[in-house]
Amino acid sequence: MKEKSVVLNVNGRPHEIVLAPNVTLLQALRELGYTDVKNGCEKGDCGACAVFLDGTLVNSCLVLAWQADGARILTDSGLGTLEHPHPIQEAFADTGAVQCGFCTPGMILATKALLDRNPDPTEAEIREALSGNLCRCTGYGQIVAAVRLSAERLRKSDRTRGPRGLDQPSEEGKNG
Amino acid sequence: MNRVTPKPLPEGELPPLRQVGRPLRRVDALGKAIGATAYAADFTMPNMLHAKVLRSPIPSARIRRLDVSKARALPGVACVLTGADLPDAKLATDMPGQTGRSQRAGSDAPVLATDVVRFHGEPLALVAAESVTLAERALAKIELELDPLPGVFDPHEAMKPDAPHVYGEDNVIARWQIRKGDLEKGMAEADLVVENTFRMPFVEHAYLEPEAGVAWVDEQDVINIRVCTQVVEHFRSVAKALGIPQNRVRIRGTMVGGGFGSKEDVTVEIFLALLARETGRPVKLVYTREESFLASAKRHPFTITHRTGVKKNGRITAAHITMVADAGAYPYLTPYVLLYATGMAAGPYKVDHLHVDSVAAATHQPFTSAFRGFGGPQAALGYEQQMDEIAGALGMDPLMLRRANYLRTGDTTGTGQEIRSAVWLEECLTRAIAALGERTPDSPTRRIGRGCASTFQSYGRITWFHDTSRAWVGVEQDGTVVIRCGVPDIGAGQSNSLCQIAAEILGVPLERVTIYATDSAVTPLAGTSTATRQLYMSGNAVSSAASTIRTCLARRAAEEMGVREDEVDLANSRAFVTNDPSQFIELANLVKKCAAEGLPLSHLAQFNAPFTEGIDPETGQGDIWPDFTFGAQAVEIAVDLGTGQIELLKSAACHDVGRAINPAAVRGQIAGGSHQGLGYALMEDYVVKEGITETPSLGEYLIPTSSDFPATEVIVLESGTGIGPFGAKGIGEPALTPAAPAVANAVADALGVRIRELPLTPERVLRALDRTRSVAPRVRRGMYGEKAPD
Amino acid sequence: MSLPPFGLLRPTTLLEALEAMAEAPGIVPLAGGTSLLVDLRDRRSEAELLVDLSKLKELQGIETTPNEIVLGATTTIAELLHSPFLRQCVPLLTECCRTFAAPLIRNRATIGGNLAYASPAADCAPSLLALDASVELRSLRDKRLIPLSEFFLGVRRTVVRPGELLTAVVLPRSSAGGRAAYRKLGLRKANAISVGSVAVRVTLDQNNRCNRVRIALGAVAPTPRRAESSESHLVGKRLTETSINEAAHLASRECAPIDDVRGSATYRRRTTETLVRRCLLEIAEISEAE
Repeated sequence: MKEKSVVLNVNGRPHEIVLAPNVTLLQALRELGYTDVKNGCEKGDCGACAVFLDGTLVNSCLVLAWQADGARILTDSGLGTLEHPHPIQEAFADTGAVQCGFCTPGMILATKALLDRNPDPTEAEIREALSGNLCRCTGYGQIVAAVRLSAERLRKSDRTRGPRGLDQPSEEGKNG
Repeated sequence: MNRVTPKPLPEGELPPLRQVGRPLRRVDALGKAIGATAYAADFTMPNMLHAKVLRSPIPSARIRRLDVSKARALPGVACVLTGADLPDAKLATDMPGQTGRSQRAGSDAPVLATDVVRFHGEPLALVAAESVTLAERALAKIELELDPLPGVFDPHEAMKPDAPHVYGEDNVIARWQIRKGDLEKGMAEADLVVENTFRMPFVEHAYLEPEAGVAWVDEQDVINIRVCTQVVEHFRSVAKALGIPQNRVRIRGTMVGGGFGSKEDVTVEIFLALLARETGRPVKLVYTREESFLASAKRHPFTITHRTGVKKNGRITAAHITMVADAGAYPYLTPYVLLYATGMAAGPYKVDHLHVDSVAAATHQPFTSAFRGFGGPQAALGYEQQMDEIAGALGMDPLMLRRANYLRTGDTTGTGQEIRSAVWLEECLTRAIAALGERTPDSPTRRIGRGCASTFQSYGRITWFHDTSRAWVGVEQDGTVVIRCGVPDIGAGQSNSLCQIAAEILGVPLERVTIYATDSAVTPLAGTSTATRQLYMSGNAVSSAASTIRTCLARRAAEEMGVREDEVDLANSRAFVTNDPSQFIELANLVKKCAAEGLPLSHLAQFNAPFTEGIDPETGQGDIWPDFTFGAQAVEIAVDLGTGQIELLKSAACHDVGRAINPAAVRGQIAGGSHQGLGYALMEDYVVKEGITETPSLGEYLIPTSSDFPATEVIVLESGTGIGPFGAKGIGEPALTPAAPAVANAVADALGVRIRELPLTPERVLRALDRTRSVAPRVRRGMYGEKAPD
Repeated sequence: MSLPPFGLLRPTTLLEALEAMAEAPGIVPLAGGTSLLVDLRDRRSEAELLVDLSKLKELQGIETTPNEIVLGATTTIAELLHSPFLRQCVPLLTECCRTFAAPLIRNRATIGGNLAYASPAADCAPSLLALDASVELRSLRDKRLIPLSEFFLGVRRTVVRPGELLTAVVLPRSSAGGRAAYRKLGLRKANAISVGSVAVRVTLDQNNRCNRVRIALGAVAPTPRRAESSESHLVGKRLTETSINEAAHLASRECAPIDDVRGSATYRRRTTETLVRRCLLEIAEISEAE
């Protein structure tokens, strides 16, 4: 198997790596240090490995790294930081939607995928949008609440992507 | 119309608190949300090797040949180990490590099988290589020849005299019994005797994080193991397996991506330690999902028979319950799971004349061990289905039947243990039912059913384990607070609760508390994150440690401000006079003063659970647990008469948690636990045929997605009578227990016949519907005062 | 678990892809990878050379001609699902896409891949059969159009020859006519392999008699298939409870299901009858009685 160099633009950073064709995008991302992309099953059954690939949410375990050559990839850690979390990340933290946290990065990206195209979803639409991301801890109820809270906060701030510096989380939100 | 009026709660307000009782954002939440929290598989070390495990493809066999020479010779392979290389290494499947009590004789499993294979997936060899791919290639080069042996795949069969041998002398792993009162007398007093048998299957934990870890030997010759585990104290099991001193193994536990009991057993730790020691290099092992299915424990299948004598007025006069559990290939925690099931077999009901006979036998099937509830959920599936069957036989409202038999505070359980905390069974049940609202009407294609379950579940470990926990709390010079505690956080907010307790007692905002946890070398050992014990045990330890410091601070502040110690309160990082808050000292300044004067600003506290000495082996009488949590679930389902599919329309759960330290975490546990119970009842079908697991993936073994069930409405009651901090009880396991029986009862209500096994798949439902067409229609009584639907 | 070693060609045009396929006999096309990569990982596939189709523009998108709707083979299920045009013209296909797996999978899985993989439970097949779809197969030298009803030969077997690629799914304009209904039975509401799926399309004449009937079944036979005796039973008849029940029963007799972890053959046959009946009742706008 001949190795080739591919370029993956992850969270705005270009990475050039040399690898064999049989390496999945999941493996490549984790090798590059993006361990927020989780391996829950490697078969597309659980959604823990979800990433945005050129704007479309996919199971990175089912994409070969070579197929992502030149693509823009967005992972959960690219959405925000501890100092400047993305509103969706904050909403998840505030509503108790994070228990063990292993499904959380994929869930947050699935939330973003939903709210990017449907800023005011119904409960049914929320549940449908998340149906490819398994959670074993929460029973999904607080996750649905987190999506609703995210939608509300995004509508208020009119901010849809990228970490921000100016807005502060509301006091009410911080204390639940 | 639903005429159930919830019983009013007893009077008595809980004292107001500042931090405890608020749904504050958990200390671990944001780190997880931004993807920064590292889990076991996210760690790497320089010069690291990758490990793989060779596992048996069949369940029962003699190992004729296991030749690893070609694998060892492969370039890039650092080490291959088989059972032959480890003659003294045994895996203690018991739990001696936590309490120092001697391990039960005959509870070992081999670390790597040598003569025989007992289950599909049993580990046979370990490989460490430069890359995962090379390790896989090495596995493929191992020459394995197995001679299939006769297998036994049912515990009833396994106990027959001519059964194939699995484990121990006679395949019997454990027995328990209860002999309370006079069974014959009680049965003779009955107006009716009702007998039923119920069966429960294997269940998979299906946490999102497969088992993983990294181990290395450090400069002090200490084996370090970074691993996702519910038990930091496994360093003792590792030390024993390797024949080294206990203080030469360090477990650095990570945030766990779900455990539910399966990471309570030793998983990757010993494999990693062996390979790290053998190679002298760091070694990483990450299970694939399929491997996790095969390698880890399952929930015990049970067959439970209830024979109950009742009077026409609904009072239970006597009960004889038999339980047969499938231990799988090795003992693991079977004896204790069986004990829980036995102790809870009769349910939260007064039964003066009670016999229980329980046995667990080994089979060539997946080994069974701890799973959220630990025998309690299976017991509840027995007693709550039996209660509905009795109600049906008597023509009695199931709520009335339960009311007539509920235990109350001061009563004793089936093992004669007195219940001292509040028993809000009826309060919980009536609220759960009321939350369902109006009954959905039937349609030509759908029949509606409603069901409920009243349950109890212990919190805190078996009291003859003499359980203890320790926590260290200290205040820094700037008034921030540090907690050091060995507690493993498995996602339920174990570490956050401790922070919230310390924050409350020391009067600082939650953001000013940091916890360092789960390191056997540097954090005081707090015991397992199992048995719904962490909030109770470590919460009390933190509470004690923080209170000791608070007393010192308050005393010094009182001196400073010229008031009595009891006139001083701590809040918002200040010590102030309660009746005149304008008199205060900033906590940081107070701390500096204390430090300068050599006053203690930290404390290591130990909390001991009640210590008992075991139940009577003949009568089963004695205390088993510290306390119980009481709760209920009510559900409404619709059965599709054409396909047998069940749709969950409404679900409500109500538990008395004593005191909710963090209400969002409590609600999350109840919602999540009941969700697992709903899956148990409706879709989780772990298929084992002739010992072979046929569903080793998340595409075949189905757990609920976000589309499957509506949210369970969660109602939290707080009696304040728990023995945890601030009157808290535990909720982790109790949350799951009532869900599956509530669903089973709802389906029986809809169909008019009962399906006696789980899961209630569409196919089983359709077959049951066929049965109803050929029998006289049963009168479908309404529930709880409703008029019976037509 | 690593994927086994294989070579991966990344052609930039369809012609390059077809050239590669002509040259290498065992080459396997890769589009969404939602089936193939799983098979490779589980060692059910031993493909040693793959050709990546995911970038070929010629295979993407929805086009129309005067007589046809042409769906590029590597159009994803998500793209089909979200197409307002398809929802208007062939809502049967939209409905089948809606219940396909889960959002993450739909964003990668392709219509061509779903058909070419030829699982007995191929989610797209019943509705496409009911829509009288054909598949376009191209090789370097040749191009042919095969009715979907002749495309499947057996479990995981189709008429695709070595060197041939499924390049498009073609729907005749007539597929936009008639009334259609779809039912899929899975053991959970998302990401569930079909235990049985049914797609029905009926056109009625001015006397409300069935003119053209398509009843297509999935997951209950080695291949997705039309229940032809059931179809012909209805031609010339009105849709009544009686004729519907008879047709449903005939359809269940045309199943050849197996027992597996998801369900027994008996159950599948029974539920197929129920699903066919329900689709026909929906089309006839008759409420279902018990």
